[in-house]
Amino acid sequence: MTWLTPTIAGIAAAIAIPSLIILYFLKLRRRDVEISTTLLWKKTIQDMQANAPFQRLRKNILLLLQLLALVGILLALAQPQMRGQLAEGQQRIILIDRSASMAATDGDADNPGAMSRLAKAKETAIKLIDSMREPSIIGSGTADEAMIIAFDTTAEVRQQFTGDKARLRAAVESIEPSDAPSQLAEALRLARAHLPDRIQFDENTGDNITVEGVKAGGATIHLFSDGRLPDAEEAITSAEDEVTFVQVGRTDAANVGITAMRADRAFDSPVDVSLYVGLQNTARTPQEVELELLIDGNTTRVTTVTIPAATAPINVDDPEASEDAQRLAELLPWTPGVTGRTFEFAQTAGGVFAVQITPTNPESDLLPVDNRSWIIVPPARQLSVALVSRGNLFLITALQGLPLARLVQYSPDQYNAAAGTSEMSEFDVVIFDGWLPTIDGQPGLPPGRFLVLNAIPAPLGVAAGTEPQPAMVLDWPRDHPVMRLLLLDKLRILSLPDIVNPTGSGATVLAETDKGPAIFEISRAQTRALVVPFDIGESTWPLDISFVVFVGAGVNYVGQEGGVFGASGDSLRPGSVLTDRLPIGASRRSPAAAGRCRPRRPRTRQRRTHRLRPHPPGRALSGELGRPRRARAMPPTADASRGRMPRTCSTRASQTSRPPRCCASAATRSICRTPTRPRQRSASGRGPFCWRWRS
Amino acid sequence: MQRTENPTRPATLDELLDSKLLARVSQLDITSKKIFSGKLRGERRSKKRGESVEFADHRPYVSGDDLRHIDWNIFGRLDRLFLKLFLEEEDLCLHVVLDCSESHDCGTPNKFLFMQQVAMSLGYIGLVNLNRVAMTAIGTPPTTNTGLQQDDTAPTGVLSSVRDLRGRRRTQELASWLCSLRPEGGSNFTEACKRIALSRRGKGVMLVLSDFFIKEGYEDGLRMLTGRGYDVFCIQVLSPQELEPDIAGDLRLRDVEDGDAAEVTISAPLLKRYKANLEAYCDQLRIFCGARDMTLLTVRTDTPIDVLLLDYLRRRGVVR
Repeated sequence: MTWLTPTIAGIAAAIAIPSLIILYFLKLRRRDVEISTTLLWKKTIQDMQANAPFQRLRKNILLLLQLLALVGILLALAQPQMRGQLAEGQQRIILIDRSASMAATDGDADNPGAMSRLAKAKETAIKLIDSMREPSIIGSGTADEAMIIAFDTTAEVRQQFTGDKARLRAAVESIEPSDAPSQLAEALRLARAHLPDRIQFDENTGDNITVEGVKAGGATIHLFSDGRLPDAEEAITSAEDEVTFVQVGRTDAANVGITAMRADRAFDSPVDVSLYVGLQNTARTPQEVELELLIDGNTTRVTTVTIPAATAPINVDDPEASEDAQRLAELLPWTPGVTGRTFEFAQTAGGVFAVQITPTNPESDLLPVDNRSWIIVPPARQLSVALVSRGNLFLITALQGLPLARLVQYSPDQYNAAAGTSEMSEFDVVIFDGWLPTIDGQPGLPPGRFLVLNAIPAPLGVAAGTEPQPAMVLDWPRDHPVMRLLLLDKLRILSLPDIVNPTGSGATVLAETDKGPAIFEISRAQTRALVVPFDIGESTWPLDISFVVFVGAGVNYVGQEGGVFGASGDSLRPGSVLTDRLPIGASRRSPAAAGRCRPRRPRTRQRRTHRLRPHPPGRALSGELGRPRRARAMPPTADASRGRMPRTCSTRASQTSRPPRCCASAATRSICRTPTRPRQRSASGRGPFCWRWRS
Repeated sequence: MQRTENPTRPATLDELLDSKLLARVSQLDITSKKIFSGKLRGERRSKKRGESVEFADHRPYVSGDDLRHIDWNIFGRLDRLFLKLFLEEEDLCLHVVLDCSESHDCGTPNKFLFMQQVAMSLGYIGLVNLNRVAMTAIGTPPTTNTGLQQDDTAPTGVLSSVRDLRGRRRTQELASWLCSLRPEGGSNFTEACKRIALSRRGKGVMLVLSDFFIKEGYEDGLRMLTGRGYDVFCIQVLSPQELEPDIAGDLRLRDVEDGDAAEVTISAPLLKRYKANLEAYCDQLRIFCGARDMTLLTVRTDTPIDVLLLDYLRRRGVVR
């Protein structure tokens, strides 16, 4: 045991104890007693005078009790403390994993199924908080402070640095499990950002200087997790940091879950849907599950699947394997057993397809949340395309190869005559080749969806005094739904005009050449278009396979309502950002809630099915999209699996204050991101908007 | 030790002493180590050869002796002149001195009441045996608020006295005098003794009843009382509380006579020391008395009067 403030207590003792005794000496409160004579008493007092003080204090129980109480107070003043495992005045960062795998119910190792890992982690964290040093009432001793961060894919500060144990406990208690996978690096970055700045001693002035931007090291980080941290190796900690990893749960926890799901319509026969379900088993015995397919909530098919057992990282079945190898096999993570099942069926209408598994042995499934998965399959629909051209063999040939419902060719005069009538509104996409209608006295685009070739629509323009030059493509966005399919390395452009893209035009560059941008996407509230400003006839593109792919993907991209989310097999996990487009013409910029959708008031990070209904429906004018488009969040697979992240999704942390990348550029692109409420980001009236919801 | 609350103040003899006790003590008589001469011819033999019928001794004749006392039978046988000496019977003076200072109004049983009872019983014995009984109350009267003394005789140290009482008939007179005494005021022991020594007459037994806690000292006073034909008995009356104090705590002890205060915190060593001091004080008094042919008797006030008279005093030869 040590004393925190022995000096203060010593001073207080030096004052208080003699004072108390002196008070006893000076105490004049004596009872008067009349006696016959004081003769003998006087003499007795004289005799006793030599040792009178001690006589007076002897056997004085009241004084003894008061002295005892005083000593007790003085000892308390000295602030005794037990030298425990905790050092003094530490700043602790408590990271609590709330990812989906923390919902597994093997938190209590002795009694599986009784307690989730998260509950165990919270319990352990609260014990740690309770053991923190209290702030001292006097003296220089400082209390331990702690910060609570809950993380899955994103990290969230639940409680800033404080020594208030009640608030820390409340912050820990308030953490609820989410269905997102965990990303430790994000949490560590956030933790380091909240550390105080490093303080250095300036030798010249003798002062302590706070070095801005440099964080003090030596933080004590307590990580409460089950160890399912895919990016644990990438997580950066300072060399001075002291990281304590508190593992909850077991490494050999048995679980079966859906890890992948993908639905495709056959290219040539859109009615045929092929649905693939990937399954995983971490148990060390093969597991049999019932796999159930539901279309719009109705059970369609049930089948039984046996998932193979997890395999050891080292072959321990070999009888010659040493004991060390066997022990090592117990320590290392086992490779889960993986299998898949494909459903083939014909489905014209779109819908929400769900699969769910029911393990025949419930004990082998500690995490029930990954037993169900959804996917959105768009309806089997083919586009109607109008081509306004003076004749372009390459383009017509490419379009004729596409599975289109209708392809009608117009001359510019015919188009002018038909423009604004219901005839044109029947087309999903209009392709302008080398010609543009005149809007406000200059070539431009009316409201609608277009593919523009060999023409420069307003607001784009040619830079004054420049000549078209030969160019070659250097870069294009690989994550764009159209451009990701292309290979433009071999494209040579003979004459590329120098295009000026004024600010606020709503145009983004899709291909960059050595002489400037070559392909644009215009995305505005009323208009969506892909623009190829150069003459494809004066390039090598028509001879390249990428041209056909571009035309096909471009028509599909422009013509499809909303994004390609779901239909392309992209999966969305809780906590990740969904980027999607609104239907064209959607004027209101807040998603209306429908059905079970709660986009405005997200409460949890639990998996929910949300439905967004932009209003008015973007294609209601054309009379084709009578019902609102549905967008459903793809449910997660278990975060332990490493599924492909959707390309349209940004996994950037939601804590950053910068506007999302997509929002800044895409005019009619909406960003759905977790985890806050819907929010407009547009400065202009028709600008992009984004909403956030918890998926 | 403490002042007695509501002390008993007897008004008559019956209240002072039980009649049965009086009957018992009437059998006793006052004795003296010497045979004293008295003024009146009494029932007591005197050391003085007198004219009683009781033969005492012979002594050779010297010229001038009374020829009537010559033992002619001896002269006839031995042819020498011897005087025949007879014992003379004399009366005995019993002088009781009571210390009436306020300090005696203390203790349980009350010291002064005890002294009154002892004085009364001894006086009664003296009266019934036809001794000459005198009693003196010593002390100084209490000062009034004006500081003036009530009695002009106060400086002498003697409050009041009765003397020359003789015979059973004077019992009531003695009792009423004793009952009229009040233990008030201080004491001036030396001065009082001086007055008593000067004023007493004859020879006899003197009993001094006091606690002898006298601040100015008892030595000078007692020294004056010694000799001159008086057999002095000092009876030191102490209350049980004085012998074994039953007080405790932080106290301011105040002297009832002069208001002198002593602050004490009672503790076992202090009490032990007090008892040792008390014992030493009594021993000193006893030695002082013994050296001057006085007899000291220390009695507790809870001693029964008959035990005191029939046992203690008889053993010490005060009564028989």
